[in-house]
Amino acid sequence: MKAYLSVFRMRWKMELQYRGAVIGGIVCQMFFGLILVSLYRALYAGKPQALPIEAVASYVWLQQAFFRMQLSSDSELMDKIRTGSIAYDLCRPLDLYGYYYARILAQKLLGSLLRAGPMLLFAFLLPRGVGITAPVSLPALIAALLCLILGLLCTCALENITMAFTMRTLDSRGVQAMLNLLMVTFSGNILPLTLFPDSWQRIITLLPYAQILDAPIRLYTGQYALGEAPRVLLIQGIWTLALMGLGILLWRRHQKRLVVQGG
Amino acid sequence: MNTIKLYIKSVGMLMKSQLQYPASFLMQTLAQLVMEAEEFLAVILIVDRFDRLNQWMPGDLFFFFGVMSVTFYLTEIFGRGITGNFPSLLRSGQLDTLLLRPRGVLTQVLCSAVDPRRIACVAVGAAALIIGSRMAQVSWTPLKALALAESLVFGCLLLLGLFLIEAVFCIYSVKSVELVNAITYGGRSACQYPIDIYPRPLRVMFTVIAPFALVMHVPVGYLLDKPLFGWPGWTAFVCPLAGAAVFALMYAVFRRAMRHYRSTGS
Repeated sequence: MKAYLSVFRMRWKMELQYRGAVIGGIVCQMFFGLILVSLYRALYAGKPQALPIEAVASYVWLQQAFFRMQLSSDSELMDKIRTGSIAYDLCRPLDLYGYYYARILAQKLLGSLLRAGPMLLFAFLLPRGVGITAPVSLPALIAALLCLILGLLCTCALENITMAFTMRTLDSRGVQAMLNLLMVTFSGNILPLTLFPDSWQRIITLLPYAQILDAPIRLYTGQYALGEAPRVLLIQGIWTLALMGLGILLWRRHQKRLVVQGG
Repeated sequence: MNTIKLYIKSVGMLMKSQLQYPASFLMQTLAQLVMEAEEFLAVILIVDRFDRLNQWMPGDLFFFFGVMSVTFYLTEIFGRGITGNFPSLLRSGQLDTLLLRPRGVLTQVLCSAVDPRRIACVAVGAAALIIGSRMAQVSWTPLKALALAESLVFGCLLLLGLFLIEAVFCIYSVKSVELVNAITYGGRSACQYPIDIYPRPLRVMFTVIAPFALVMHVPVGYLLDKPLFGWPGWTAFVCPLAGAAVFALMYAVFRRAMRHYRSTGS
């Protein structure tokens, strides 16, 4: 456990190195948030919906603030496999799944924390209906935070599965792209899942993509009542365990067939 | 003329090299197809829920989406050297070798990369254009076709110009500057919907600073017989020239910046 912790700490320190990039990223993300909120406001002006615009605005801002929790691809592992330096990782007396899980976790956690603070502050300062509104209640906020933590564990497990496939092919961009395909849409990043057709929502909220950010946001804005929190957390927990199990299995399998490139 | 021949030859060779790994290429192209289709799906779902956006009907919205998508990804296919590769060329010091050759730096940068996978995105955009044109019952005339062609060509120039801003920042700071994405990728996200739905600050930004509205929305408004801001028809042919102006300006700035270029030394 101590080893994984230090992997986590190292990655954490590395993330802190690029502060300039973080600030640029935040400003960029704020701008995207403003564009999206403006669009939904224009749409609402034409045809108001049952879901209040404040909830949509909060949805957009929370999505933008925790943007870094979404799946991404770590080109470092791909380079390691291409150059053969993966051999060093294989020498470590560690389980590789845990090693990479700790790395991804640090990357996502710090990436989100660094960005979420200023982003949410900015969004709170905006006028009502444009910016983010306060959570419906304190217990709802606590439930949303719990849900967010589980969501983080779930997204890391999901990303680690795509990493496992990197070992099979030298150029894994294709496989990664295929695995992450539905992520953009069904995580609510392009269009809030709350604005999808109501009949779709029953199914897409059960997919793992919705566990990452959609579930915590719905608890925050009150789309999920507090009484539903245990059910939501249970679904998240099941997905997290299932994805981790599958990930561990795939890593074991693919590790055996890994070819260390020379030269 | 020679330069154009050189570019065409490079593009041919680059395409061939990309096709060396057909399986990976196919999968990536397929992934691009689905990704852009998902973007289109978002517009369809919005239309499904909200019916319309101010004066703009579903067909109009699909048309706006299509113009942006085709323009943006055509630029990505043929201008990959500027839109994607420049920062790494600079950081790795490969730019130095370009300075030794008897051709312009920008020409060589453009000749250094293409991204044929994006053809899938262009296809989705073209499909959106056709569907939108059918639904909005556009009565095509040669003049309207000319306006669309002009909008696409100058749209590509505009995007190249905007991506050059990133290149210029990069020359001074070595690192790629994420902030510039706000007007390139941000412009794509914002301006796939007509500009007149946005509040004034955004409208000013995408009309004056990054004139997507002049290059794309004015001609499209003319095509759909719903002139943007109520401007007369001839503006649909004059406004897109703003794209060429932005490119010319940024090209001049780029050349000045290159004089300050100091190799990274690696």
